[in-house]
Amino acid sequence: MSKNNSEFSVVGKRIPKLDAAQKAMGRAEYIQDVKLPGMLYGKILYSRYAHANIVKIDTSKAVALSGVHAVLTGEDVPKKMKMGFIKDNPPIKKGKVCSLRDEVAAVAAISPEIAKKALGLIEIEYEELEGIFDPEKAMEKDSPLVNEHLKSNVLKMPWDIHYGDVEKAEKESAFVVEDRFTTTWVTHCCMGTSGAVALFDASENLTIYTNTQIPSLAHKDFLEALKAMGLENKRVRVIKPIIGGGFGSKLDTYAYEHIAILLAYKCRKPVKVVFDRVEEFKATSTRQPTITYIKQGCDKNGKLLFRDMRMVLDNGGHTSWGATTPSVMLMPISSLYRVENVKYVAKCVYTNNTYSQAMRGYGNPQATFAIESSMDILAEKSGIDRIEFRRINKNQSGDETPQGLKITSCGLEECIDAVKKELKFDGKNEKSVGTGIASLIHVGGGARIYGSDGCGAILKMDDYGKVDVFTGGTDMGQGMDNITAQIVAEELGLLAEDINVIHSDTDICPWDVGAHASRSTFVAGNAALGAAKKVKKKIQAIASKLFDAPAGKIEFKNKLVFVPGDEERSMPIGKLLRKAHFRPGGTMLMAENFYDPDNENMGKELKGNMSMTYSFGAHGAKVKVDEETGKVEVLEYVAAHDVGRAINPLLLEGQVYGGVVMGLGYALTEEVTVKDGEIMNANFRDYKLFTAKDAVKIKAPVIETDDKDGPFGAKGIGEPGCVPTAPAIANAVYDAVGVRIKNLPITPEKVLAALKEKNN
Amino acid sequence: MRLPRFNYLGPDTLEDTLDLLAFHRDDAKILAGGTDLLVRMKKGLLKPNVLISLKALKDLSYIHEEDGYIKIGARTPLADITASDLIQKKACALFQACEKIGAITMQHYRGTIGGNILQDNRCHHYNQSDFHRSGRQPCHKDGGKICYARDEADRCNSTCQSDGATALMALGAEITLARKGGERTVDLANFYTTDGIMPFAMESHELLKEIIIPVKGAQSVYKRLAYRSAIDYPIVCAGVLLKPSKSQKNKIEDVRIVVGAMSRSPLFLVQESSSLKGKSLTDVDAFKKAADSSMNSASTFAVHNVGATLEYRCEMVSQMVFQALKEAAQKAIDVKG
Amino acid sequence: MEKIQITLNINDKPCDVMVSPNDTLLEVLRDELDLTGSKDACSEGICGSCTIHMDGKPVRSCLTLAMEAVGTKIKTVEGLANGDELSDLQQSFIDHGAVQCGFCTPGMLMSADALLKENPSPDDKTIRKALAGNICRCTGYAKIVDAVAHTGNPQDNCPDCLTSSKPYKIQGE
Repeated sequence: MSKNNSEFSVVGKRIPKLDAAQKAMGRAEYIQDVKLPGMLYGKILYSRYAHANIVKIDTSKAVALSGVHAVLTGEDVPKKMKMGFIKDNPPIKKGKVCSLRDEVAAVAAISPEIAKKALGLIEIEYEELEGIFDPEKAMEKDSPLVNEHLKSNVLKMPWDIHYGDVEKAEKESAFVVEDRFTTTWVTHCCMGTSGAVALFDASENLTIYTNTQIPSLAHKDFLEALKAMGLENKRVRVIKPIIGGGFGSKLDTYAYEHIAILLAYKCRKPVKVVFDRVEEFKATSTRQPTITYIKQGCDKNGKLLFRDMRMVLDNGGHTSWGATTPSVMLMPISSLYRVENVKYVAKCVYTNNTYSQAMRGYGNPQATFAIESSMDILAEKSGIDRIEFRRINKNQSGDETPQGLKITSCGLEECIDAVKKELKFDGKNEKSVGTGIASLIHVGGGARIYGSDGCGAILKMDDYGKVDVFTGGTDMGQGMDNITAQIVAEELGLLAEDINVIHSDTDICPWDVGAHASRSTFVAGNAALGAAKKVKKKIQAIASKLFDAPAGKIEFKNKLVFVPGDEERSMPIGKLLRKAHFRPGGTMLMAENFYDPDNENMGKELKGNMSMTYSFGAHGAKVKVDEETGKVEVLEYVAAHDVGRAINPLLLEGQVYGGVVMGLGYALTEEVTVKDGEIMNANFRDYKLFTAKDAVKIKAPVIETDDKDGPFGAKGIGEPGCVPTAPAIANAVYDAVGVRIKNLPITPEKVLAALKEKNN
Repeated sequence: MRLPRFNYLGPDTLEDTLDLLAFHRDDAKILAGGTDLLVRMKKGLLKPNVLISLKALKDLSYIHEEDGYIKIGARTPLADITASDLIQKKACALFQACEKIGAITMQHYRGTIGGNILQDNRCHHYNQSDFHRSGRQPCHKDGGKICYARDEADRCNSTCQSDGATALMALGAEITLARKGGERTVDLANFYTTDGIMPFAMESHELLKEIIIPVKGAQSVYKRLAYRSAIDYPIVCAGVLLKPSKSQKNKIEDVRIVVGAMSRSPLFLVQESSSLKGKSLTDVDAFKKAADSSMNSASTFAVHNVGATLEYRCEMVSQMVFQALKEAAQKAIDVKG
Repeated sequence: MEKIQITLNINDKPCDVMVSPNDTLLEVLRDELDLTGSKDACSEGICGSCTIHMDGKPVRSCLTLAMEAVGTKIKTVEGLANGDELSDLQQSFIDHGAVQCGFCTPGMLMSADALLKENPSPDDKTIRKALAGNICRCTGYAKIVDAVAHTGNPQDNCPDCLTSSKPYKIQGE
């Protein structure tokens, strides 16, 4: 049922964030603010070397320091307590360290000062080993091995995919381009640093406050942790404080959480581990860096015939989500634009650098940088206008891509049109000014990575027309709370402020796989909508008796329940609920709903319709290049997205603007500089994310394709904003001054060097 | 990050301050705005036993013109300098430099011009957390014998990244250092030791009291390059003072070219400056030549220690100097009408 | 190390606290006075999350000794509202979607509040310059700039200036 936005009362409205007032008053409680009686402070000691054997650890001086309650080393970690999806990573390392962020000891003390002092008293003897820091070199036969028990630094991962016949398609291509692109480490820089507070009750049940995006999976991980500690049949309660930014950084369980648990158990007191900024830079994970070799070809009419991509991924010292980014990279590789023959091989290689995990886009920004830069190069070679080239190959509703993605709603062309409308792509720009375009595809209807892609919601109405929604979803500032409230309010004819969204506690909230893949609107939204529909049915049944009218005819609007067109048969919802409940034989208005989207795990050949629907977008950038200094100034930026339906345009814009500025940093200024495995710029002065003065105004046209499966037609928007920014900028720089930068970030040095080379 | 422990002293008068300095000497550090000092203390780069606060010395905060000189109290906040019409008109390079320092809410209200001049030298190997540094041999500046920025260097090569000092040196400023029982005034260009560890030729019992800028009927410009438009230290900067001739139309009488963020102190490039004497205000070729020569002079000092590649920084010296010269010359032309 | 008692003027209230010389104002606010609105996001004075007012000027509380605050008037984010009545600036932040995760918000508000007291109608460029020392990772700054610009200067073409957070108008009313 397709509705006009004006027909909605709450959906589509610019309703400010429900928790904004408490945040603006400084009353929101983040993990930094959590204080429990008797709480101790935990601190972690990190490795001195990127690659070394731990010969001896002497903690006696630390243990003896007044105020210290516990000191742990790798010896104190239960054998089965391991992190990472291949469970190769203990929270405190034993025997050997493979990167400078490896945890080697931890302390709990009565103050952070004393804890830090105690760390300084731990004496560790290392035997330094030769380190390997270049992933391509690490693949060579005589390279030092990061893990001696494995024969090679190359991981056994299944990223070797071939759809169609790429070799044949290459032979048939009229134009072929081949290039190498690289992206480097960048990091989330959440303003609220990582942290957890763990405590055990008298029965050894665990409560842990943590900034997690995966409360339910964390719950499972911590149950396993307790089991490994010999604590069977215990309860775990995960409580989320207000989260100071996520962007994918909290999509796993981490050493600091496990360490907080171990320390809390040892001390029998609450233990708080919170990172300072330096630690946040050095000991949290980055976005996966990539080395990409890409070849694409088209026929003489500009139709894409094949895409052949080969990647080398620096896996760092331990295996984490970075090694699974190819599963998401496969999405743009196989499905951004129509292309039948696709080959993708990705090698993940151990090095002694830091390891990467999930960061907004989860591989899509990296792959799209290569693909969309290459598309521009191919368009030029074939003599076809770069926008026309994209139109010729655009995705369309009804497509099934080589990976098996089923495109339902698709507003790619409208997005490209919107960008073209705002920026001038034809004709001459003034000197050193250029424009660039790049598109994106991203999951918009969940993403089936685990066995379940579901989210549960429990809806409880009180006697006055107020609703509590207990959801498995997670809000980290992006607005899951508002979206849920607006969806439920719309369905039940209430206002958003009548809905109280609770998502903070695994003891009371249902299961959800996690706030990733931009799935909150689609999945948590649908879960809440389903629950609201169930409650609505119950109310309709009650009203039906009361009004003597068919239940299906009863409607909800403006806090009233009524038969349309009949002033007599109408009642404020609160009154109706009291009538239903506050009498002998009364009923409670509650419903639960578990929504698991109809999408597929990737099966053999890594094929499968990973998401129920896909979000599309196109970005356009206008830049001016200072040919004396190489600096690139962004003059204008347009980011058009097909979002299905904008449940809340105010918050949607916030996601787009925030994503784009993060993406512009990725394109132009951000990089974690690493020297021999050591992060050199672990502060906000040397890590160059955009300030308010660097950021530009962004236009964000919203394309609504009213997806048939999304709640009120909505799709995801959390990540798309940062996906095509880098190629849009790279393409604009090329248009401006004729140089193509293939390594991110596009620094003034690189531009200047390229200009020099071009002019010689 | 916690500050290390220290004794805090808050003298009421300049005299009391100088007395305390004379008593504590190397044990003490002066606390003005604290935006440089306290950060270094948090990183464990220094651990003074005593901090002597200038909190009460409001008399050391002033800007006025007197007998052909602009006098600025060392404790003057950067915000007062950027709000001063006098400085914008008659010492423009300093105005431009202070505008670009960090960000307004970072150090413009607490940070002082004296503090900016006395900002310690920097190096991305040295300015790291104490844990990062404790795991390796200490460098020269950290009490050791190694330089991580330049192999086998027998001295510290840390860089002076002070915007204020670069601009002031171009303006030909002098500074007054007070101590118990007296004071001395020294040309800023002679204030540097060229030692990265102890960059300033001042005794531990001396206090920077005043900055004196001669008003010369000249134009001044300050240029700096950084990746971002706020927060960053300059990766290269240049200050230029250009005095047009009164007797010869459109000719240059005197020039001072100073390049900063390339060496252990701002570099007053005497030769390049003199090369422009007598040249025309529109002699762009002469500017280019001086700029390129500045690049060669400055490059000999530079090491890779502030984040940008060495090659780029050196190249950009030429750009910054050239742009500053052109702009100063144009201002001189515009003034004449 | 001995702690000494000092009196600080926080949000127009005298507060007696025991401090060590090496306590920063931020630590005292958060740990001793339970004013946890100001945040420690970098400890080096770069990110601006700790911004408070000292005698009306925005400064970094993480780089200000508690001792240095004696005799000055300190205002924190908790002092912006009048009880539960939000200031115009806070309301504008809420209405314009300038608050996402909210961690940078207290510092942003303090920097913006100082700006508006000096310049009630700043343009885009002036606002961005004034907020350049406050880092935000969520919003891309655009809505923060709008919120500041429109405080006291509602714009006809801004859909968020025309509404107020509470109460929301019921459609049709």
